[in-house]
Amino acid sequence: MYALCDANSMYASCEKIFDPSIRNKPVVVLTNNDGCICAACHIAKRLGVGKKFIPYFQVREDLERAGAVIRSSNYELYADISQRMMDTCSRFAPRCHVYSIDEIFHFYEGWVPPEGWFEHGRAIRRAVWTEVRLPIGVGIGPTPTLAKAANHAAKRIEGYRGVAVIDNETARRHILQNMALTDVWGIGSRLAKRLQALNIDSPWQLANANPGWIRKHFSVLVESTVYELQGVVKLSWDDVRASKKEIYSTRSFGQRIRTPDVLGQALVQHASIAAAKLRRQQSLAGVAVIFATSSPHDAQGYYRKYITHRFAVPTQDTTVIANACRQAVQAIYRPGVPFYRCGVGLIDLSEKAAFQQDLFTPSADNPGLMQCLDAINARYGRNTAYLAGQGIQQKFAMRREFLSPQYTTRLSDIPRIQC
Amino acid sequence: MLRFIPIPAQAGISGFESPAAEYTQSALNLDELLIDHPSATYLGYAEGESMVGEGIFSGDLLVISRFEKVKDQDVVVANLNGVFVCKKIDKRRAMLLSAAPDRAPYHIREGDDFQIEGVVIRSIRLHRPLVKSI
Repeated sequence: MYALCDANSMYASCEKIFDPSIRNKPVVVLTNNDGCICAACHIAKRLGVGKKFIPYFQVREDLERAGAVIRSSNYELYADISQRMMDTCSRFAPRCHVYSIDEIFHFYEGWVPPEGWFEHGRAIRRAVWTEVRLPIGVGIGPTPTLAKAANHAAKRIEGYRGVAVIDNETARRHILQNMALTDVWGIGSRLAKRLQALNIDSPWQLANANPGWIRKHFSVLVESTVYELQGVVKLSWDDVRASKKEIYSTRSFGQRIRTPDVLGQALVQHASIAAAKLRRQQSLAGVAVIFATSSPHDAQGYYRKYITHRFAVPTQDTTVIANACRQAVQAIYRPGVPFYRCGVGLIDLSEKAAFQQDLFTPSADNPGLMQCLDAINARYGRNTAYLAGQGIQQKFAMRREFLSPQYTTRLSDIPRIQC
Repeated sequence: MLRFIPIPAQAGISGFESPAAEYTQSALNLDELLIDHPSATYLGYAEGESMVGEGIFSGDLLVISRFEKVKDQDVVVANLNGVFVCKKIDKRRAMLLSAAPDRAPYHIREGDDFQIEGVVIRSIRLHRPLVKSI
């Protein structure tokens, strides 16, 4: 059997853990740079505010009227709480797979809990609530896709209250009949439309479709989904995850950038983030894509400029990639453009282990320095040591006006308790 | 990292071989020593003097476990109407007790928003302020 545990409105729920004064209020969390809504607690949802991905400025007044508490994304806090949730959940199964910041799959192999699956699910949910103060839903089923369906039922279908188990035909039929096609793992809205055109309107009908026929009309992936809905395991995360084919670091700025110096600093910072990721997966990059754009919503018209820089020798050295960025700035920067977004992409990746040295163009990489840099930052936190080219004062940092304290990761932010 | 040398206390009687001759050195860190369930343990600062009878002074660092089962008369952190408080819990009479002579017990009433958040498993006196930042 498989189980999927996932947190309810993860970001909003994290905000409530260390601030009891907002636990009974509608809480809404904004994305990077406070642009859009990315999470809302159930109280906010009930009041009809906090729809995902709506720009904040469009609904600011509605939120105010509803008495909503607004928070910027506090990634430091969410990452720590996520770790705690995963640790707690992992106690309950022989094998686990963290799927995202708020989702973890359990794989029980042949093991069956003596208290029964439903009670087991309740025990996980209770443990995460008491130990982490995070509300989660637990779905249990014979395949990952059915566990995901049960998880949907646990949270959305009436009567389940946080835990649902698919361990018999009645439960499987009931849950699959009470979901929409797009609620099935891997079925997006376009795929759902095509299925409906072939008279497959519900997950239950999809489960009863002929896998071979589905494969002919769609793909192996949809065929696997049909098998999984029938109870045959097709998905696996044991296969070694392939290295990423490209690595990007990109972000929009809190305030527009208008000087080449600051743009260069931002690019160098992206270079260092991407290069660190590159080293972590032990790859070399042949090409860097370096770009900056204004906002498409700016009145004076959209400006975007890309530079692709091919390295003489594939590299994984931050300084080499940063130098490419410093050169690129001169080509990308244009006076008067309010730059809104920039980034660095590393493509044409190859495995470091398979790299052939070239007699005539020696690598400019300094592995010892990079190893030292990574070790310092791994031990003392990101950006403890960095290139001066990133700038000492980072003027392009994210805008987070409604940021809550980093209760669990920063000494000065530890909560106060009245005695 | 704290280095810990486990040498038993001696009365100072001479004539025996020093037990330190064979001491073993083991590395301990305070997290391992003080925290049994890291993913369920949180830190907080005490503010106020109502728990001095339990040895908790204003500014002390509290180590709070959500893992421990709450027993009667435990020192706990609770949410009382939107504020984190540190008190002793009297489970039978539904009261929050202070540990200072001038503070009356608090009866938990029906309309109160009240949950126990965790048990205070340690309190740490900061004789000098913390200077490290994480």
